[in-house]
Amino acid sequence: MNSRNASRWIGLIYVLPALIFVCAFVLYPFGQLVYTSLTSQSLLGGGAFVGLANYQRAFNDAAFWTALGFTARYTLFITPILMGLGLLLAFLVLPNRKIQKFARGVIFLPVVIGLGTSSFLWYWLFDEQVGLFNKVLVNLHVIVHPIVWFTSADLALWAVIISVTWKVVGFGMILFVAGMQSISSEVVEASLIDGTSYLQRTTRIFLPLILRTILLVTLISAIGSMLAFEQLYIMTAGGPRGKTLTTVYWIYQNSFINFKLGYGAALSVILTGIILCGTAVQLVLTNRRAHQ
Amino acid sequence: MKLSIRSSAFALALTTSTILGYSAASAADLSMWVRASGAGAAQHLVDLWNTGHADKKIAVTVIPDNQMVTKLATGSQAGDVPDLVSFDLIYMPDFMKAGFLTDLTADLKGDANYASVAEAYKNIATYEGKIYGAGFTPDVSILVWNKDLFKKAGLDPEKGPTTLAEIHADATKIRALGGDTYGYYFSGSCPGCNIFVTSPMMVAAGAKILPAKADDTPLDGDGVKAVLTEMQAMWKEGLVPASAQADNGANFVAAFMSGNVGIEGSGGFLISLLKEKAPNLNFGVTILPGIKEGQQSAFVGGDVVAIPKGSKQADVAKEFIHWELTDEAQLEGLAKNNIIPSRPALADNKYFKAEPRVVVTAKALGVGYVPWVFHFNDMVNSDSSPWIQMLQTAIFDGDVDGAITKARESMKSIVAQ
Repeated sequence: MNSRNASRWIGLIYVLPALIFVCAFVLYPFGQLVYTSLTSQSLLGGGAFVGLANYQRAFNDAAFWTALGFTARYTLFITPILMGLGLLLAFLVLPNRKIQKFARGVIFLPVVIGLGTSSFLWYWLFDEQVGLFNKVLVNLHVIVHPIVWFTSADLALWAVIISVTWKVVGFGMILFVAGMQSISSEVVEASLIDGTSYLQRTTRIFLPLILRTILLVTLISAIGSMLAFEQLYIMTAGGPRGKTLTTVYWIYQNSFINFKLGYGAALSVILTGIILCGTAVQLVLTNRRAHQ
Repeated sequence: MKLSIRSSAFALALTTSTILGYSAASAADLSMWVRASGAGAAQHLVDLWNTGHADKKIAVTVIPDNQMVTKLATGSQAGDVPDLVSFDLIYMPDFMKAGFLTDLTADLKGDANYASVAEAYKNIATYEGKIYGAGFTPDVSILVWNKDLFKKAGLDPEKGPTTLAEIHADATKIRALGGDTYGYYFSGSCPGCNIFVTSPMMVAAGAKILPAKADDTPLDGDGVKAVLTEMQAMWKEGLVPASAQADNGANFVAAFMSGNVGIEGSGGFLISLLKEKAPNLNFGVTILPGIKEGQQSAFVGGDVVAIPKGSKQADVAKEFIHWELTDEAQLEGLAKNNIIPSRPALADNKYFKAEPRVVVTAKALGVGYVPWVFHFNDMVNSDSSPWIQMLQTAIFDGDVDGAITKARESMKSIVAQ
């Protein structure tokens, strides 16, 4: 009994640094955020306790719901693209031959560029007058005249999706490749002896065995998309007519441009709740499938 | 062991020298935050000051435009502020009200040079009868036209448009040149650019744009509708490049600099910029017109200089503010570099004689306006502000009346908060 208690204390000491870190840098700031959300605090100082008024206001804030709707649409579009394309690329570059290794490096390269930098790059690539993207499309006769990508919310959305896909698809691909390469070669060889086709190996061996990696990439991609900011800030500035404002962009605007820290904090708490719920549902569903 | 002692001694020496070096530098130099778009002009003044004040040098830190307000607000809250700050004058009301700035009333009231500073700068830096700053690196909106395109289009290259209808007529003729040549340009997704160059045309036509108090009517007067209607017509007729709709300010300068745009609202800063970057571009400068002959206005912009509360060298900072208003600083620091002085009386100087276009900007300063309002960001500068929503809905969607009504309501509710 005593030794059991002692080992518990030793265990606690081992996790203490991590516990202190989490308390100081996650729980305490989150508590501060929740408290701020209950005040009318301004970036210029002042503010009083207002209870749930900020949450009530968020409920009636049409711009917030529009931003949330756009963010959800962006997430729903980009997540399957990143997953599907990442998987496809992973299958293509899976063998450890020189050309595949080189391809992996090339596809992964944009991941090391900052998102802000790549957004600036694509902003100019999409430019109507000097942009290379339009020129290529015109030369390939896909379009007749250069398109002004950022004048329509739909086109702007696709422009951002294209730029972000280029930037991050390599990350998912690398995780998928790592997941596939960790599958025991005996399993793959046994399936080959059994005479399985490539499609059968893909659907019956690779995909089920990397389900946890798929879950991880989906989570990273979905959470990242729900928190999208830089790419929209730089490429569309929320336009046209505020139709490409994301939730985080709207939080930023309220907190730091319009100085309403209390209201911005309330919006942040709501967004945190939405992401937590979404993640929990996703985890439960995927875990259930993984155990089936 | 010997190595360890030697290493420790070296590390200690290095640390000590770094600390001493840092404190020596910070004790000698005044720190000054400058907003990026005013950094060039500010540096001219600071360089001149540093030449004559070796023991009171100023070290400039350039802050990106869109981060300046946030950084200053958070710095003030945290008590970590520079000795001097130069920022967009439009934010003075918010910062004065917040109590972030040092009261300079006693220092500047008796300063004869301060008395001759442009009224717009004095008004914007005064709150409840107290003075909190002075004009520093002025700028003002103007209208520029491409003389070569005017000539090609059969227009008088020496005569700029004097009414909005004339802008429209001239733009039509220039667009008729065809190809990539357009008559008029504005950054359609840039709220700040448009308050700078589009709102003065409304003000010139008698409109009042922003409400100072809750019971003021925003966007009041026929000028708002007249200007939006004319701009909507120019857009519909294809006199403005399609890319203007999505321009968030990135092409505010580049469009005219390309030589393919006939007329554009811009700022006084463009003169020296074009002379340096596009020396072959033949352009004229005039004051932004209204809807009738003789109506003129401008948006007085640029930066003010102030001393944040908590400045560690407030006395030297005050000395600098007195100095930057002297003839020496205004002429040798600003005018010499084609920048208008904040004291309009100094516009008639030897440097501007060689560049009459700068004199036009100095005149624009005299007829210009700057709105003294709180919540400027909310109403105008944010990417989803009522101001930019109104412009876009009216010009690109064609619903002028609906756009004005909606923006008016939004602005009223912002001021009422």
